[in-house]
Amino acid sequence: MREHVKEALDQSTARFLTALARLLPGLVALTVALLISVVLAWILAIVMRRLLVSLRFDERLVRWGFPSPAEWSPMKSPSILVSRFVAALVIMTGLLIGVSAFDAELTSLFVQSVFAYVPNIVGAMLVLLLGNIIARFLARSVLIGAVNMNFQYGRLLSVGVKWLVIVLAVAMALEHLRIGSGIVELAFGILFGGIVLALALAVAFNSKELVAKSLERDPAKTPAETIEDPLRHL
Amino acid sequence: MEGDLIPQQALETTEQIDTADVVVGILADLDQEAVATVYEALRTLHGDLRIVILSSDGNSVQAHADSASSGKGPQLSVVPWPLIAPDASGAPLQSISAAYYSIFATGEKLGARAGCIIASKLEAVTSQWVCQLIQPVLEAEFDLAAPYYARRKFEGLLNSGIIGPLIRCLYGKRIQNPLGPDLGFSRALFGMLRGNDRNANRIHPLASLAPVAICDNLRVCQVHVGPRILPPPDWTNISSLLVQALGPVFLAMERNAACWQKARRSVPISGFGEPLAASDKSTTVDVNQLLNSFQLGTRDLQEVWGLVLPPATLLELRKLARSTPEQFQMPDELWARIVYDFALAHRLRTINREHLLRSMTPLYLGWAAGYAREVEAADGAAVERRLERLCTAYEVSKPYLVSRWRWPDRFNP
Repeated sequence: MREHVKEALDQSTARFLTALARLLPGLVALTVALLISVVLAWILAIVMRRLLVSLRFDERLVRWGFPSPAEWSPMKSPSILVSRFVAALVIMTGLLIGVSAFDAELTSLFVQSVFAYVPNIVGAMLVLLLGNIIARFLARSVLIGAVNMNFQYGRLLSVGVKWLVIVLAVAMALEHLRIGSGIVELAFGILFGGIVLALALAVAFNSKELVAKSLERDPAKTPAETIEDPLRHL
Repeated sequence: MEGDLIPQQALETTEQIDTADVVVGILADLDQEAVATVYEALRTLHGDLRIVILSSDGNSVQAHADSASSGKGPQLSVVPWPLIAPDASGAPLQSISAAYYSIFATGEKLGARAGCIIASKLEAVTSQWVCQLIQPVLEAEFDLAAPYYARRKFEGLLNSGIIGPLIRCLYGKRIQNPLGPDLGFSRALFGMLRGNDRNANRIHPLASLAPVAICDNLRVCQVHVGPRILPPPDWTNISSLLVQALGPVFLAMERNAACWQKARRSVPISGFGEPLAASDKSTTVDVNQLLNSFQLGTRDLQEVWGLVLPPATLLELRKLARSTPEQFQMPDELWARIVYDFALAHRLRTINREHLLRSMTPLYLGWAAGYAREVEAADGAAVERRLERLCTAYEVSKPYLVSRWRWPDRFNP
């Protein structure tokens, strides 16, 4: 009896040690991959931060219409955020490579599916970035044009245009990420249609006076047509 | 190269002419009487000159030329020339630019010594001023004869408030109308502009003529001509006008930065002809509309102006927006600094250049309101004194521009 127990224990220990011995190279590979990726991420983050600082990325971002660095906390300036994001991306990649070194079918499949999803994430981020830039450009165009036409609610219109484009970009990004695509489409359709309908109703019924006031810069009120204007510009 | 720029309808006629001493381009839609006056003026020029007239009303001019072909004096040829085409993009100054390049190309092709362009309608076209635009170039070796129009207090405000004082303070020469558009010019000058064109570095000829002439040490003078007939403003399109007029001026400023940073005080330039007075009707300007635009801009465009103007200027503008129409007056130094800040932002591309210049419209209308209110009851001499004060303010504030231009990051008051 004792011998049977001893034999079973030996076999279990042998199986455990064999499994551990099989797992060890994978663990070592994971550790090495992580270490390399951390070092690489650290170097890349430094290079990226210096590059962005030399390119005056923070100032350019403000010129493109994003909030000024004063609105970000000092420790989270856009340059620092971008460099940290790049570092996190490298570490994540290192981790996935390390995990795949276990040579297990399950982990391989997991890693493959994660890597296959990366283009979607990158695409969605690009869509969001472009959408943001376009939204801010259009908002500024609308604001300046509206002010030059003496439109009293130019700022409101400008904010409306900005959010309309941002909402469109977010919907496109979510569609790209394959997250709740049906719901997003439906929500976007309702939101977009609602905004257009609200504008149409505002013009037609409810805000007739408001719109009339906004459009006060009608020809009857411009100096050019009420009296003969003596001003000549060029 | 020349052939590409010269209009097709003029190319064949130009081929038949060997050379010319003077090329006269008539781009304005002049009536028969004015055309006859221009022709008579050209006939009075001294010497055995060969003059080529580029005119849309070629038949009329040709009839004058034929009727006097037996007479002595300059030999005249006429080349049919299109009027300035209305630009589909709504950019008349771009059309003028193309027309100027065509005339320069014709002058170069014919080897002309001098040229003259008549691009605006003048109330009283006299033979004197047409000659006077050409004579300084032909006889006194000047390279640019700029026009000195008889000024009405409410006319040419963009020139009086921004372009004239800016170019005067930058380049140190007191030219009343640096952008012409009626000009006399030498071969040396149009050769330089054409050279730039050939180097695929096309510059706006109207905005660049005076800066190029001054920076290359060419001789510049101005000629007293009568009052211009200016079209009434299109109130929906003033921001486009600012973009078209100030964009090339700011670009020329950027291109000639090394030159204008050396210039210190401005000096008067030689003048030809007798100063003419323009009759100013007693008119009132509705400054309330202009002030409304300014106040609306101050309320809504802070986020755009905040990228261009320093905080002290923004504060002053906010104070100004609260003043009553009777008290409203934009200080000259403040206005000069605003113009300089916009020029700098244009150079640095702080925001999209078209956005930048369009966002300047409420500020310009604010300045125009203050100016119109101030000179409403003033006579011609008082208006001149007022504009001289403005020019002086631009000159006094020039160190501010130079500092910001050289150290845009470090010097930000």
